[in-house]
Amino acid sequence: MIKLQAPHFITRHVLFALVAGGIGGVVFMFFLIEFDHYTSSNEFCTTCHSMTYADDSYQSTPHYNSPSGVRASCGDCHVSEGIIMATYDHAIGTKDLIKQLFGPDYDDPVVNLLHLPEAAFAARDWFRKRDSATCKRCHTLEAIQGVRANTAAIHQEETEGKSCIDCHYNLVHRHVPSENTFKREAWNAMVEEEFGLEPGTAAQLLSSETQ
Amino acid sequence: MMWSFSFPRSLPLIFWGFCMLFVASATQAAKVELSSEHWGNPAGERCVSCHEKSSAGLTRQWHESAHREAGVNCLDCHQAEAADADAMEHEGEIIATIVSPKDCGRCHTKEYEEQAGSVHAEAYAKIKTRIPALAHQLTGGAMQAAGCDQCHGSEVKVLGDGTLDPATWPNSGIGRVNPDGSKGSCSSCHGRHAFSKAQAREPSACVRCHSGPDSPDKEVFEASKHGMLYAAQRDQMNLDGETWIAGKDYTAAPTCTTCHMGAAGKIPATHDVGLRNAWNLNQPVSHKQYLILFEDGSKLEQSDAEAPPRRGSELVKPDGSTGKVRAVIAPDRRRGVMSLVCLECHGKTFTESFMTQFDNVVELYNSKFGEPAEAIMAALYERGLLTPLPFDEPLEFTYWELWHDEGARARHGASMMSANHAWWEGMYLVGRNFYSRFLPQARAAAGEQAAEIIDPVLASTGQHEWLGEPQQANPILGWMPPPAPAAPPVEPAEVPAAALQLVPAAVAVVSEPAAADTTSVPNAASDASTAVASDTNLAQDKPQSGSAAADENQEAAQ
Repeated sequence: MIKLQAPHFITRHVLFALVAGGIGGVVFMFFLIEFDHYTSSNEFCTTCHSMTYADDSYQSTPHYNSPSGVRASCGDCHVSEGIIMATYDHAIGTKDLIKQLFGPDYDDPVVNLLHLPEAAFAARDWFRKRDSATCKRCHTLEAIQGVRANTAAIHQEETEGKSCIDCHYNLVHRHVPSENTFKREAWNAMVEEEFGLEPGTAAQLLSSETQ
Repeated sequence: MMWSFSFPRSLPLIFWGFCMLFVASATQAAKVELSSEHWGNPAGERCVSCHEKSSAGLTRQWHESAHREAGVNCLDCHQAEAADADAMEHEGEIIATIVSPKDCGRCHTKEYEEQAGSVHAEAYAKIKTRIPALAHQLTGGAMQAAGCDQCHGSEVKVLGDGTLDPATWPNSGIGRVNPDGSKGSCSSCHGRHAFSKAQAREPSACVRCHSGPDSPDKEVFEASKHGMLYAAQRDQMNLDGETWIAGKDYTAAPTCTTCHMGAAGKIPATHDVGLRNAWNLNQPVSHKQYLILFEDGSKLEQSDAEAPPRRGSELVKPDGSTGKVRAVIAPDRRRGVMSLVCLECHGKTFTESFMTQFDNVVELYNSKFGEPAEAIMAALYERGLLTPLPFDEPLEFTYWELWHDEGARARHGASMMSANHAWWEGMYLVGRNFYSRFLPQARAAAGEQAAEIIDPVLASTGQHEWLGEPQQANPILGWMPPPAPAAPPVEPAEVPAAALQLVPAAVAVVSEPAAADTTSVPNAASDASTAVASDTNLAQDKPQSGSAAADENQEAAQ
């Protein structure tokens, strides 16, 4: 009969620590999985009032209401797949929380809309850097048929060197121009007109934030 | 012009014809002068393979176009600068949806400069202040995009998010105010993306706007001899011709383009569509008009009721800015150019006499209806008998239609030889409107001041006296006063009742229409005059004077 002799340095204390650490690690991993899962949900994201504006436009798009019943949540698009990257994205995402708590009053619809373009540009960059990875969780290029007759052919023949986000932006949230054609004055004027504000109010609001 | 008084009428025409000779040779065929190295952007070639799939129709049109043949691709027209108000990113390129006349003018410089400042390019600017009354107050804002702006063009608004405001776009109205500030829309007449010469030479290129009750030019043309010949001989029109000079490349018939824009004989083509128009036919009162050309290339129409500006003088333009006058084209000269087109197919006397017939109609409209109606309306507004608010009183609709609808139809009908539009759809309705609606409504609005406001205006024209003769013979409506009774005269007590007299009167219409001695016909004639007068209240000094006159009549007869 073979007797397993534990090395000398495995004392009772070490054994206890290993078992406790192992269990703790497993529990932590479960916690992370659940944490990332919960923090990717629409319910979590919209606990901040500022996010309900993004939610409004999202709810009117096929990504919320698709005929097939598939619904993409906030995290499905905006949080990477896999526990490591998901956790990383959430860690980086805490800057949004910090800005929500200490930055401009994003809960105010005017302030929110004034800052929307920067948020959109950042989100587009995020998608581009990841080669639109989160789009591809659901969409498979080879399988895209589309409704119009030639959508499939376009996706087979015209997509080389392109990532989903290169063509498909302004899909879910409010329309924001591309960064290279964005005009701050025009955007401000639009916000002022929409909320019935005096011309110049938007610029004042923005400059008061930086002081 | 002095010429007209001291020389035969045709001399100015010939003179300006010679002037045109010199201009013509240089500008006859508006070939693009830009070197071809300025187009054919390689990046633009990449648009095609995707758009063949995503928008096959427009890509096919482009494939079959002269643009494609010359190597002009999508980006050559649609490329934009990032700073442009309507610039957007599309597949890695900065483009704009709207291709403005300024964009087209990068190659088609001559056409761009000609259309700038024309009545076409200014079509929206001209009516901008009138739009609210009809489109917003009378109906609703939705009608501006669906109605007015479809022809006149919209003031395209780029929203803060870079998209084009759906209240103002899509739009290809000819006076569109574009995001780049230029006015007009080439695709109003030149259907994109084929831009076919033949299509733009067809009368149908103009029909989208020049049809309907207020400018029935399509209907006028079709009902004219010109339209008749065009329909019958369309296959001889050489519509695809490389050049399209009336009298040379085709002689079968003229289209809208032929007379208003086209090259004819030695006359060069022009994209200033109003250049050859001596009159303005779409105003309450028509005026012959000077075309003032400014140093900066802009233009201004000015009524010949005012003295023309001197060359080199400063003048305030409609947009408030001042410009230096480069040249003034007199109405006679404009008429002269138009007449030279006619001369490709017609004789000089024929042409001049036709123009006289046309001018006579416009002058008749002006003096008999347009000017009196305008004066009466002005007096009613001045005295507060009408509110300044437009279209809150029935009279305002009546006046509007008098000049804007039937008045315009009459003048357009006469200008392009549709008898039906000149008369039944035009001047007949002007007359009916004027006598049976406009004057009664104006008298009602004027109330006690009617005699003071309206009657002098009518009297001053010298053309409404016929109303003062209510007992004129009436063969057209089938009633004639009975003939004078045969001698010997009967005693008054034995005059038969009016009802009995009607029967012989009806017979008299057939047998003896000219024998209308109304003073001896007591009751029937006075009844008739009362009826006419009380129905329309037209010819009398006082509202009651109609029946008063009839009473006098009756007394005199008895």
